[in-house]
Amino acid sequence: MTEGYLDMCRQVLDRQVIDSNHIPCGKVDDIEMNGNKITAILIGNGVASERMPELARAVSRKIFGDRVVRVPWSEVHVITHEIKLKSRAVDLGLDERQGWVFELINKLPLAWKK
Amino acid sequence: MKKILEIFLGILTAMGGFVEIGELVFSLNAGAKFRYSLLWVVVLGTVGIIVYGEMCGRIAAVTEQPVFTLIRERAGYTAGLGTLIAANLVSLLTCTAEIGGLAILIKLLFGGNYFLYIVLVLVFLLVCVWFMSFQVIERVFGLLGLLMIVFVVAGVYLTQDWNGVAWGFVPSIPAVETSSDYFVYAYFVVALTSSIMLPYETYFYAAGAIEDGWNPSDITLNRIIVIIGFSLGALLSIGLILIGGSFLKPLLIEPQLPGTAALGPAIVFGKWGLIVGVLGMFFAFAGAAIENALTGAYNFAHFFGWSWGKFRPPKDAPRFNLAWIVMLLAATLIILTGVDPVQVVEYSIIFAVVILPLTYFPMLLVARDKDYMGHFANGWLADIFGWLYFVIILLAALAAIPLLIITHGGEG
Repeated sequence: MTEGYLDMCRQVLDRQVIDSNHIPCGKVDDIEMNGNKITAILIGNGVASERMPELARAVSRKIFGDRVVRVPWSEVHVITHEIKLKSRAVDLGLDERQGWVFELINKLPLAWKK
Repeated sequence: MKKILEIFLGILTAMGGFVEIGELVFSLNAGAKFRYSLLWVVVLGTVGIIVYGEMCGRIAAVTEQPVFTLIRERAGYTAGLGTLIAANLVSLLTCTAEIGGLAILIKLLFGGNYFLYIVLVLVFLLVCVWFMSFQVIERVFGLLGLLMIVFVVAGVYLTQDWNGVAWGFVPSIPAVETSSDYFVYAYFVVALTSSIMLPYETYFYAAGAIEDGWNPSDITLNRIIVIIGFSLGALLSIGLILIGGSFLKPLLIEPQLPGTAALGPAIVFGKWGLIVGVLGMFFAFAGAAIENALTGAYNFAHFFGWSWGKFRPPKDAPRFNLAWIVMLLAATLIILTGVDPVQVVEYSIIFAVVILPLTYFPMLLVARDKDYMGHFANGWLADIFGWLYFVIILLAALAAIPLLIITHGGEG
């Protein structure tokens, strides 16, 4: 991947991120750069809320928290309409199957069934 | 053969899912107030939803990207989030109105306690969405919503002045008694257009296309379903205007409750007409309640990038599943406060038109972007209609709130 030729704003920022099993695992909420090279993509409300006006940011962090997950650029496999990663969501700390929302939904009958 | 069946079912589903409580109320009232002179608005709105439905279906089939993914990419985070909040509030209000409408219908058939029925409706909807697959939901509520055809038959039966009906399809300003009636007429033009072009229809349609696993080979399927299905759906709306204009207007009945609509089939076909009409409305409203709850969840998931979809087991998409449950619970809480569902409908329809341009503009930009869509990008026809309708909904959006205030919600 030749970073310099990417129109970053359009092709990376705010794009859907999917893991190696095609499971959606967030959006590119921000990009970490070193000079003109992308070094990592950042996912999570901690950075997404940075992009909002001050009051909205405070409200957003109250509701959705301020977690940030850093995914090194070397983890990026292909860029199409989506950003596909080389690893599984669970190995990158992007798995939704944890926390109280998961515990709640998983308790309901037939939650494992399609 | 399988393809033909799929097209046939798709058309019927699109038709049966066309009408919900907002469109029912505004179509009936349009007839009762202005006889046939708003029929042209049905055509205007239907062509509009065909144009944008086709675009979002095509985008979903080609790129597998749903609407709120596009809105975030094109409008940016903050503006996109604003659209998300507005869109989900409208879906919540629409869902609220449908649940209230459902409880009214059950009460109409069996008598008894309205608030108890609200809770029963909630349980019914929760069970349906949780246990049914996307395809089953789509088919059951879409196909049983077709019982509403009884309104078209009744409307045709009750109408004698077909010359007047024909003139109704020509845009014109009717002769009215006072000048404030002109504003009421304009209010109905905007509200009826909005009720037909409700933005949730495109969010849900695009998400459904991805749920059904569409790919670029389904583009023709998409076109046929959108054009024929939505056109046939418009017949339901026309049938309701005919009932309003031919039956309610001469009797000076101003329909306030969804049940008034059932008077049409009841007069023509007696008891069974009433029952079929009420059942048709029940499945149409229930379908719309489910679609709006799911739409809220789809929108959240598509904006924040969550795992989503009925095609995944709920445990693999926990946030998405919690989101539609919360939508249904919140809608039920609102209607339990005792607000009038018809009042909620009016506000949801008027606020919906305000967010239409915010939804349709990013969609238009993406659909005509050759970098994104390749050779599936808009041709000249889709482009012309896309821009034309963007201007129309922009004007409608600017006029909506002032008209709501001037006419006191269409009362004059």
